[in-house]
Amino acid sequence: MSSATAPVEHLPRTGNYRWVQLWGIPLRVMHWAAAISIVVLAVTGLYIGKPYFMTSGEASSHFLMGWMRLLHFIAAGILVMTAIVRIYWLFAGNRYERWTALIPWHPRDIRNFFRQARAYLLVRPEEAPRYLGHNPLQQLSYTGLYALALLQAITGFALYGQYDSTSFFFRLLNWIGPLLGGMPNVRFVHHVLTWAFIIYIPIHVYMSIRADVLDRNSTISSIVSGGRMVRADEAFEDD
Amino acid sequence: MFSPNSHPWSADETLGRHLEKRGVSRREFLEFCGGLCAMLGLGSSFVPRMAHALQSMKRPSVIWLQLQECTGCVESVIRTSEPTIGNLVLDLISLDYQHTLMAAAGHQAEAALQSSMKENAGKYLLVVTGSVPLAENGIYLTIGGRTAKTILEEAAAGAAGVVAVGACAHWGSVQAARPNPTGAVGVGDIVKDKPVVNIAGCPPISDVVTATIVHYLTMGRMPATDAEGRPTFAYGARIHDQCSRRANFDAGQFVTSFDDEAARNGWCLYRVGCKGPSTFSPCPIFQWNSGTSWPIGAGHPCIGCTERQFWDTMTPFYDRLPDVAGFGVERTADLIGAALAAGATAGVAAHAAATAIHQARRRPLPVVDAPVRSDPPAPPAAKE
Repeated sequence: MSSATAPVEHLPRTGNYRWVQLWGIPLRVMHWAAAISIVVLAVTGLYIGKPYFMTSGEASSHFLMGWMRLLHFIAAGILVMTAIVRIYWLFAGNRYERWTALIPWHPRDIRNFFRQARAYLLVRPEEAPRYLGHNPLQQLSYTGLYALALLQAITGFALYGQYDSTSFFFRLLNWIGPLLGGMPNVRFVHHVLTWAFIIYIPIHVYMSIRADVLDRNSTISSIVSGGRMVRADEAFEDD
Repeated sequence: MFSPNSHPWSADETLGRHLEKRGVSRREFLEFCGGLCAMLGLGSSFVPRMAHALQSMKRPSVIWLQLQECTGCVESVIRTSEPTIGNLVLDLISLDYQHTLMAAAGHQAEAALQSSMKENAGKYLLVVTGSVPLAENGIYLTIGGRTAKTILEEAAAGAAGVVAVGACAHWGSVQAARPNPTGAVGVGDIVKDKPVVNIAGCPPISDVVTATIVHYLTMGRMPATDAEGRPTFAYGARIHDQCSRRANFDAGQFVTSFDDEAARNGWCLYRVGCKGPSTFSPCPIFQWNSGTSWPIGAGHPCIGCTERQFWDTMTPFYDRLPDVAGFGVERTADLIGAALAAGATAGVAAHAAATAIHQARRRPLPVVDAPVRSDPPAPPAAKE
């Protein structure tokens, strides 16, 4: 019914394909390390927030909360390392990975932001602008996730620093408690942001699978292989 | 241990001589000094120095102002199961002016305050309990017709050091909780020109007050403090890290209600709102009433009373996280978070279904032909 207005996937199912390199090895490693550590952080974090199962018997024969906290702190350390890699790669990566790709600043991309949003909301994938890297909505969504992770790291390390008032993290972040109105509020913000991460997961996974299924251009495999196979005759906004 | 009423401490007598007259043996005196050194984190080599300083000390002048408060701090400071030397020292040095303990009243008392401030100008130690109300020009607390702010400013001007005892003097405590109708503030908010040592807590432990004053008398200066003005010898570590129930925390053994088996076993009170992980205080070590017990030891979660604004920030006292405003007390952050996560999942499922329906109506799913043709059609013009 809309074949006349559909210039893209409407295409013949044959033709030449080309390989487009998108994500460097540091970015791919960072993605999967962050994914695993976020899952570990969420699971152990929710346990630390409200210990939902318990041990019995002598305290000396168990270390459940201790292990949970240790895992949480290790995963937090890994996430911080991925952030360092990502920040380095904002300046060392290609144009799909650089800091310029964090927000849609180009007039064309701003226009496409609304086209993309419309295509998602009205379920009209054929009207969406075609991007090789991240589309404008994706750019903002991942940049938002970075901001979320930054807040989570600040509140998390402020809580972590409490164990010793002479510790590095205590001295570095002891302004955050008074700013948010006490450590319980810091804890509360940290807890609520955990849910924001958890809510992010199904949306992220769904959007990836959806793009892969609808566009048939190896979106999901690009975060493993580093690039996409696209039709040689297909035009992209950010080519 | 000592005779409480043998004779008053006269101005030209040293403390050593005075204690001797009241029947305190040298051994008892050195034990007291050793205990205080341990409390202050000083090595045993400091004991002779402290003993010497205290022994040769002439009667110091201390003015104790009681402002907007409940007298609980004074109760805490004077309450011991048996009179100790520390208690005696506190009794002795606070004689000049102390509402609760002094014999004088009315004009006599105010005259004593004025003459003591005049005679010892620049030398006396000022101890304050209670907050200072500033709203409506401070009319919520007047003593002898003068506002608390005027009295405090006048007394602080000639003081050698200022010690704010209790949460009220620290930051205002319950009367400074939202909405703070009297505009109550702490001593440190009024006295800006000299350091104020905050003995935090509602009420604080009397031993911390004694140790701070003795530190001042021995060293000639106040002890080192943290960002909140609290002496680090007492407030340098979290309750959580000194707690006798910490083993249960690490093992994953928690009280879920106050009458369960876990509560009887003395497990960790973390799940019933203990604020020990956010609270810096020496309670687990010093304990209360001559080391008899302390809140967590007695099975009650810490309410965080040594922290600024604890009435607002540490409530609800029996829950770990603050309430979410506008959702009612039963709605916790977890419930809302889980609802949103479920909503997001349902949302993407609905979107996926809509997409599938849309695609199915448009066309059958395409099939990629193989093999690839060697003569591809001309590429369509790029959009835009």
